Amino acid sequence: MSLSPRDLKQLFRRLLLIRRFEEEAFRLAVAGKFANYHGGMGQEAIPAGVCYGLKPTDNTMITHRGLGVLLTRGVPVGEIFAGLYAKASCPTRGRHPIFHMAAPDLGILAGTTMVGSVIPLATGAALAARIQGTSDVTISFFGDGSVNRGDFHEGINLGAVRKLPIVYFCENNFYAKSMPLEASTAGGSIISRAQGYGLPGEVVDGNDVVAVYEATQRAVARARAGEGPTLIECLTYRWTPHSTAGDREFARTDEELEAWKAKCPILRLRQQLIEAGHASAEELDAVDVEIRHEVAAGVEFAEAAPYAAPEVALENVYL
Amino acid sequence: MQHRKWPWKTFIFEVERMHEISYQQAIIEAMVEEMRRDEAVVLMGEDVGTFGGLTGTTVGIIEEFGDGRVLEMPISECGFVGASVGAALKGVRPIVEMGLADVSLVAMDQLVNSAAKMNYFHDGIASVSAVYRLWSGFRPSGGAQMSQSNEAMFAHVPGLKVVMPSTPRDVKGLLKAAIRDDNPVIFFEPKGCYALLGEVPDDDEVIPLGQAEVKRAGTDVSVIATGIMVNKALAVAESLAAEGIDVEVVDPRTLRPLDSGTLVASVCKTGRAVLVQEANLFCGYTAEIAALLADEAFDALKAPIKRVGGAETPVPLSPRMEPLVVPGEAAIESAIRSVLG
Repeated sequence: MSLSPRDLKQLFRRLLLIRRFEEEAFRLAVAGKFANYHGGMGQEAIPAGVCYGLKPTDNTMITHRGLGVLLTRGVPVGEIFAGLYAKASCPTRGRHPIFHMAAPDLGILAGTTMVGSVIPLATGAALAARIQGTSDVTISFFGDGSVNRGDFHEGINLGAVRKLPIVYFCENNFYAKSMPLEASTAGGSIISRAQGYGLPGEVVDGNDVVAVYEATQRAVARARAGEGPTLIECLTYRWTPHSTAGDREFARTDEELEAWKAKCPILRLRQQLIEAGHASAEELDAVDVEIRHEVAAGVEFAEAAPYAAPEVALENVYL
Repeated sequence: MQHRKWPWKTFIFEVERMHEISYQQAIIEAMVEEMRRDEAVVLMGEDVGTFGGLTGTTVGIIEEFGDGRVLEMPISECGFVGASVGAALKGVRPIVEMGLADVSLVAMDQLVNSAAKMNYFHDGIASVSAVYRLWSGFRPSGGAQMSQSNEAMFAHVPGLKVVMPSTPRDVKGLLKAAIRDDNPVIFFEPKGCYALLGEVPDDDEVIPLGQAEVKRAGTDVSVIATGIMVNKALAVAESLAAEGIDVEVVDPRTLRPLDSGTLVASVCKTGRAVLVQEANLFCGYTAEIAALLADEAFDALKAPIKRVGGAETPVPLSPRMEPLVVPGEAAIESAIRSVLG
């Protein structure tokens, strides 16, 4: 479970890939290249840390914010951009938003738009593993905005009462769109709700990729051993608005944003690698150059990709 | 429920062996036979274990298949309907007993936003092969939240199939087809049909979804009815036959996809159409059939299309109020006479 220098460098690469992707996706959305983007900038440690060490047969289900999960599970960056551009060169084929993308061979099941409604679905994927006798684990991602939904309660209750192999993974960035956590969530604590379901709960520094990885691995090991779900709450912050659709978020302050930017997950791992002597600044800068090229190539791929024929809209409504 | 075994069966050719069971028993037979046939089929829902289900249609199933395939669910319809969709995407084939059709409304988000869309999202590489069984319609002393026929709400949704069988034979054959289908199927079981007895083949009969059936051939008027109203229409047809009025009764059986050809052919033959549903009429399912006939059988019509359905009110508690709210034989008969002029 402990991470080698090689693992840490891999994680650094993934963090950086998500960051450069997020920056570019945000820039392109603001430039009007595609309709709307729910940025995940600042939260990269979560997809990078959670998905590192998952088996391809493990399932992940995301919500509208969490494209880093698609990247770290192996979807090529160009395909994701093509999905954002609503083009044909993505499994979504221009038919639905990228977070509904499915790639079962990579363990990716389609996420949902309705905040929190993915939690029962993910619980069902875990139920399937129990019924079919596999050792696969499901990671259900959701934000702090989900925890007051009935689906949060019903899904976790079902997972807990049947001890299903699932990790309930809350990305708490303290705001549900514009709504601050303290104004929306009675009791003031998400993780304390784990106790109500008789589940272990763990609060993790969501900007520390190693901590995220380790907490996930503990929870996944429990799930694989048949010991049931874990609720993990990762504390983090998004650096961009809820979406590029011009949201006004009165409660978020510049001071708050700056304080969280100082906790940048990428800078932290970079310093760690350099201080421990695992990598030189030059080496890490070279990784960045490489990734910028990869992301730019992804955008080029999407720009050049064809649109699907309109008739594609009518396919596979029924199988 | 065991089939009756006929020791001499192998010596008889070209004779379909039948046994008589109720609609309710036919549902049990279909589920048990499908669970024996395919181990991916599981049963989920509230009280589906030793309790035997709210509808009494899961009796004995947990004893045969155990709690690994008969999954008792907490009262949390969004939770377990959502879970059934997630499990289906991984290859499980859930039969979900929703109990009352009214209760399905609690899980409308998971049925309409998740179940109906996931085949589209997964684009053929994973499927929601799930059946949602809804016990629908009037029940004496049920009241407004235990008596709804909400089939039109589901039939409106692309991605869902909707079935409403009216006889023991149909419910068995259609439930088998629904279980084998790779799409989410909303399966309506009208309460009024549960006690009906009828002949069901001993063999494994699967009735394809999307096929209507002419339940009674006639020449003067087509009565297109759904669910328990099919049986009421047949009773009316028999009584009118004594007067020389020859009524054809057509049962769509599957509401979506609709076998429009059989319906249009019937009305083109008789020139008159009476459409009967248990639900209240406004935006009801038969409005879709009326639109279809206006489009494709207009030239054949000798009289305006007439619709018969429930009153525009929540269903009341007292059985004394039933005749005013639930369409009965008298209303069907009156509609038939009115189109005959």
